[in-house]
Amino acid sequence: MELFDMLGFSEQGWGAALLLATLLTVALTLCGLLVGSVFGALVAAAKLSPRRSLRGVGELYSTVFRGIPELLVIYLFYFGGSTAITAIGQWFGAEGFIATPPFLVGALAVGMISGSYQAEVYRGAYLAVSQGELEAARSIGMPTLMLARRILMPQIFRLSLPGLGNVWQMSLKDSALISVTGLAELMRTTQIAAGSTRQYFTFYIVGGILYLVLTGMSNQVFGRAERHMGKSQRRNFANH
Amino acid sequence: MIDFDFLLDTLGKLLAAVPTTLGLFSLSMVFGGLLSLLIVAMRVSPYPGLSWFARGYVLVFRGSPLLIQLFLIYYGLGQFEVVRDSMFWIVLRSPYSCAVLALALCTAGYTAEILRGGLIAVPHGQIEAGLATGMSRWTLLHRVIAPIALRQCLPAYSTELVLLVKSTALASLVTVWDVTGVAQQIIQRSYRTMEVFICAAAIYLVLNFLLVRAVAMLEHRLSPHLRKRPTTAVNSHAQTV
Amino acid sequence: MNTPSITPSVATLAVSGIHKSFGSHHVLKGISMTAQKGDVISILGASGSGKSTFLRCINLLETPDQGSVCLDGETLQMRQRKDGRMEPVQRKQVERMRSQLAMVFQSFNLWSHMTVLQNLIEGPMRVQKRARAECVEEAEALLQRVGLFDRRDYYPAHLSGGQQQRVAIARALAMQPQVMLFDEPTSALDPELVGEVLKVMRSLAEEGRTMLVVTHEMGFARNVSNRVVFMHQGLVDVEGAPAEVFGARSSERFRQFISGHQERATA
Repeated sequence: MELFDMLGFSEQGWGAALLLATLLTVALTLCGLLVGSVFGALVAAAKLSPRRSLRGVGELYSTVFRGIPELLVIYLFYFGGSTAITAIGQWFGAEGFIATPPFLVGALAVGMISGSYQAEVYRGAYLAVSQGELEAARSIGMPTLMLARRILMPQIFRLSLPGLGNVWQMSLKDSALISVTGLAELMRTTQIAAGSTRQYFTFYIVGGILYLVLTGMSNQVFGRAERHMGKSQRRNFANH
Repeated sequence: MIDFDFLLDTLGKLLAAVPTTLGLFSLSMVFGGLLSLLIVAMRVSPYPGLSWFARGYVLVFRGSPLLIQLFLIYYGLGQFEVVRDSMFWIVLRSPYSCAVLALALCTAGYTAEILRGGLIAVPHGQIEAGLATGMSRWTLLHRVIAPIALRQCLPAYSTELVLLVKSTALASLVTVWDVTGVAQQIIQRSYRTMEVFICAAAIYLVLNFLLVRAVAMLEHRLSPHLRKRPTTAVNSHAQTV
Repeated sequence: MNTPSITPSVATLAVSGIHKSFGSHHVLKGISMTAQKGDVISILGASGSGKSTFLRCINLLETPDQGSVCLDGETLQMRQRKDGRMEPVQRKQVERMRSQLAMVFQSFNLWSHMTVLQNLIEGPMRVQKRARAECVEEAEALLQRVGLFDRRDYYPAHLSGGQQQRVAIARALAMQPQVMLFDEPTSALDPELVGEVLKVMRSLAEEGRTMLVVTHEMGFARNVSNRVVFMHQGLVDVEGAPAEVFGARSSERFRQFISGHQERATA
């Protein structure tokens, strides 16, 4: 089959499937990142807490999710989740094996892994906020909640952007591993297309290019955002 | 609730797969490290052709998932007659070698950037002092630039090595029986996900812990100049007496 | 090939017609200078006058756009590149000449991963290919001279600024240079530490070393050097013996320059 037909949008063409899969990858990563931001904020707070036990919990989370292969985490959630759900289902009288919805597994896995990296980003951003600005706000009697909302959070957001850009890129690539659950995201679709047409080289190159497009566009978006946020800051040797 | 017999049996099987994981790690670390030296040399060279090639290399290998790179090498290259007939086929036919190749190419991209960061961090004044003394470019490189740059890289490189250990797990997806591959097989046969996961996770955590400690020790040995100020000559004499 | 100068009329260092631009900014507009053996020349000027750039052109840390550098009768060969910029013809010649010109930097620039002693023997051993034992012996003697022998196994990070600069001077001396170049050696030091460095520099001048010193230390320029060169906007404005330059033959600009300095000192 001609290259153009194969990749095109005809009946036998894989173009449409690949594009949809790309969108699914983005959606998956986005959901994962949102989940991760919740875990990340919690773990960051735990690690910054004066209480040793909380710090210990935060450390444990970080160590585990940064130290074990992503594939293992996915297997845990997918097979473990399926076993659990199947067991619950049997308790209710259902028969046979019930698999966890792959998208859910994917978002959760990518989420909890990215959460550990996001925690480091938020923690670093928090520590980098200038104490002087907070003191100035306190000294005019600003209530703590307002201080957090108007001064602290915007600063943390601005300082987190570079780190979050890295985490986003990392999560985009991790999402490819969700293919082992069968979810028709970009990696899996590429795999299916390659296998069914036996044009492995072609499709894996195309898949690779699509991922590069995603990471490239992400860099642009984050770069713009960083520049926009950084407009109020003086340029130093690092932020250009 | 936890079946200890099963746990121990699993642990045994997983431990038997550790040499495979370590093999994947060491080979890709060595080959990837050597390749990264080449890439970073190209990247900082004054020839635009080389510099842009290196930039492209880093972009491609850091911007796409390792899994696609791996499948491309294992499935993609095997598709072509010319590859199958070539002398490289002995290497490219084996899933283990393909995994090592993919891991090495990928880590070379990341490591090259880390090395570049280290090079940038060498204080320019110390380079000028070397030049002013009449050092040749090679002497300058191996007596001043490399020692300082490599020490700067160590923290970031230890992170990269941890990522490399984790990446070896992907080899299981091309039929290499490393720790993750064996773990997945046990899970699929026994459905006892939690126990297997805990064993496998523990093994990786121990490996990473040892790795980080080893690099930290190396860092400590190589940087006496970054430690605290020593006691004065008088004090240290008093201590030895 | 370096033949020692036999005729006293051959200057140790002869620099002529140095021009240097950074982009459109013409920093050096034709500077010439000769140094005989034993000359101690202070180079003064406001920031932007080009004095550091000039010094760095001598040992080619900056490449001059025009002009020549001649050390002990040997002229540095230069040629023009395709893009118009100048480059040395032979790298080896540059390296050899540099090893005869030792530079002391404003920010010391000691090699941070080497001890004091290692810093001193690095050049002599690796560049001048002298035997290790000989280098160590000489290094230890030099350290005694600058008063830092008992710090020889310390790392630069563990020394004060003044100590580091004294080590840097010893490191320069270890190369047995024909001419020593000092690029604002005390500008980065706390005031209390300036004295110890100037003391060492004075002793070097008194033993007959050939020194080119870019400095803001008026005392040194006036009392220790035997020639003063005042640069203004890339050209030599006034030069001569200290008594002349600081006294009768002084130019208006130089007087303004000194008064500015003195006011800052008392403020």
